[in-house]
Amino acid sequence: MRTITIKLPDHRGVPVEAERISPDVLAGLSIKEISEIEVWQGNRRLHLSDIFLISGDPDPDKPENTRIVLEGDLSKVKRIGESMSAGVVEIIGDAGMHAGNSMRGGTLEIKGDAGDWLGREMRGGRIVVEGNAGNYAGAGYRGERCGMRGGEIIIKGNAGAFLGEHLCGGTIEVMGDAGDFPGCANQGGIIRIHGHAHLPGAEMVKGSITAGSARVLPSFACEGIVELGGLTYKKYVGDLVENGKGELYVASGQIGK
Amino acid sequence: MIIKGGIVYDPANGIFGEEMDICIENGRIAEDAGGEVIDARGLLVMPGGVDAHSHIAGPKLNTGRIMRPDDSRMGTEPRTRVCRPSTGYTVPNCYAIGYRYARLGYTTAFEAATPIIEARHTHEELEEIPIVDKGALTLFGSNWTVMECVRENDLGRLAAYVAWGLRAARGYGVKIVNPGGGEAWGFGSNVKSVHDPVPHFDVTPAQIIRALAEVNERLRLPHSIHLHFNNLGRPGNYTTAIETLELLKDIKPSRMRQVVHVAHMQFSAYGGTGWKDFESKASVIADYFNQTDHATMDLGQIIFGPATTMTADAPLEYANARIGHQKWSNHDIELEESSGVVPWVYMRKMPVNAVQWAIGLELALLTRDPWKVVMTTDHPNGGPFVNYPEIISLLMSREKREEEMKTLHEVVRSRSTLPSIEREMDWSEIVIMTRAAPARILGLEDKGHLGTGADADISIYSIKPDEIDPSKDHAKVKAGMSRAKYTIKGGVVVVRDGEVVAAPQGRTYWVDAAVPESEMDRMLSALKEKFERYYSIRMSNYMVQDAYLSNPFVVRAGVQPLKEVI
Repeated sequence: MRTITIKLPDHRGVPVEAERISPDVLAGLSIKEISEIEVWQGNRRLHLSDIFLISGDPDPDKPENTRIVLEGDLSKVKRIGESMSAGVVEIIGDAGMHAGNSMRGGTLEIKGDAGDWLGREMRGGRIVVEGNAGNYAGAGYRGERCGMRGGEIIIKGNAGAFLGEHLCGGTIEVMGDAGDFPGCANQGGIIRIHGHAHLPGAEMVKGSITAGSARVLPSFACEGIVELGGLTYKKYVGDLVENGKGELYVASGQIGK
Repeated sequence: MIIKGGIVYDPANGIFGEEMDICIENGRIAEDAGGEVIDARGLLVMPGGVDAHSHIAGPKLNTGRIMRPDDSRMGTEPRTRVCRPSTGYTVPNCYAIGYRYARLGYTTAFEAATPIIEARHTHEELEEIPIVDKGALTLFGSNWTVMECVRENDLGRLAAYVAWGLRAARGYGVKIVNPGGGEAWGFGSNVKSVHDPVPHFDVTPAQIIRALAEVNERLRLPHSIHLHFNNLGRPGNYTTAIETLELLKDIKPSRMRQVVHVAHMQFSAYGGTGWKDFESKASVIADYFNQTDHATMDLGQIIFGPATTMTADAPLEYANARIGHQKWSNHDIELEESSGVVPWVYMRKMPVNAVQWAIGLELALLTRDPWKVVMTTDHPNGGPFVNYPEIISLLMSREKREEEMKTLHEVVRSRSTLPSIEREMDWSEIVIMTRAAPARILGLEDKGHLGTGADADISIYSIKPDEIDPSKDHAKVKAGMSRAKYTIKGGVVVVRDGEVVAAPQGRTYWVDAAVPESEMDRMLSALKEKFERYYSIRMSNYMVQDAYLSNPFVVRAGVQPLKEVI
């Protein structure tokens, strides 16, 4: 597998639009060509090498055989891995907004925290975040009626507000807590939140949301206790405001306790 | 400038595909000229396109833009050396409207509905639309003053009000939308037929339409009344359409044109008692147009995919929002109208949409005289205007229609007559529907043709009419019509090889109609009271001032016979 390493020594000021840092774009290029790729910082057009230190295997390869490793504080580097379809992008540090948006395949690993709009409108592939994610993870952009349609997002920390807004497919798993309105306007995706969820599933019509604990909206109807994977859950159906058939499961304790 | 060797279509002057040169001098077509030579050997040449009904400026456009950030993403194009950045697909930004019309070879576009009170905003947006010549029709159909004059049968005062309203709005013609219904909506209801009285006003839509048509002719306006029927968009509404047209049969036109232009006929050619037995009645409507000569129509063809519906027919938009489970904007426009905006998606597998699609094409193909039919999508209600080449290729090719029908819900075959229609239009008919007829219908004497003295608005396409067969090569027709090889506007090359190369400011047309001073004084004294009692703004702040139109073109009309200028 070809590895390309991109280090960010120090970055202050205006965020960088780095949508071209993706295996689909970089795989077929030599290190020199990669250095000369254009990126925008605000209204300034720069070469990738003006901001980053680039090294790695010199020979071009296919995207699926390419691993891009990013190091440093990339919290002001936006759109890493946008529209990627194969290969691996590993971020050792924090990632900026819109990481992995419109992603179709491959893997995006973020060892630190992810910014807002993580995996927005993604269609396939896998995103793993070791830390926390910002608002609108897996959501649709402003006004869109469909957010994430496929693939998987795993957030090992907490997620911000509007997790999986307008989710149309795929799976989101959050090990920690979710902010306000996770899974709102869910159209058929799956969200599993191990910690607390605040007002999940508003305007949801299809799909399912599972939460360790939750403040449930009054527009959900409780249908009793069900058992899932050795745990008992309260099952709700809603959002009734939308005549929704979405399912909301809130853990009520372990069997046998 | 000389355009050499093109295959020219200029049906208004009896030229149907002849190889000839066209000379341009001082922005007009001339007998001869020097200067730049454009080589158009074998290429399709025609007058610049004229869109007689399109929603391109005004508050409802901005409402649509604000409601639809998703739409903005669908049409982003970066800045070029000449062009400012474009956004949007169904509700593009102002610049994009001008550039996209020019790329299609269109050089004139008329905004179809502006209430007088909102006219300033409309002109602010029109000013920002580059290249094309434009104008705006003014709404009168649910206006309190209009309804009062009609109730009192005072056509003198009504004529004065219409003339004053056109001047106040710097408007071009009389637009009527769901007459009476707009004001009925202010009281939470609608009118259900042309003889259903408007609540609190004691007049019927039939009376409003007839009075405005009579006044329109009394004022000798260049355009006829421009009518959006009652019950638009409802199953079974074709009877309302015919009933309304019958009302106007005996009115004498004051100019060489129709007495009524029907807006987006497709939305008013519906049969059935509800959405379940919804069917096309286009053949009945087309028959009516074939047998009479007082009316013209534009299609309002739908295009599959996203649209944004926007109209002064507010009760219709309420129904749309409920059916489509969509965002809904509703607006009350003081004493003049109400309006609404609702995003929409037309789907191939949706039975109603499939039949609507067929109805537009049926109307065009079953109406024998192309001079009576203008091609529009009622942009952006039926879909964005950038899809005109798609419609052209459908009208020119039965094969293409058959291919399309295979992708639609099967009811298109049983509930419309489209599968049995063999007609395939030729270039002359297309040029009439997109250029000559809309110019004649709007009363634009210098547009839609290439006679000496006409505006030098010309489009040249990379299509060789002697070599391609539109009925087979429909893909080439669509591609060629989508990006003009050249668009020339007022003698200036604005598009070359499908790219905008210059963006001059177009003209804004409006009509200044004269009425006897005594009538105007009588009307104004009553109107002043309205402003004092009901309007949120003062009359002095109401009129569109000259400063709003940087490049006006004033058309004179009026009740007094006009003296020849020597």
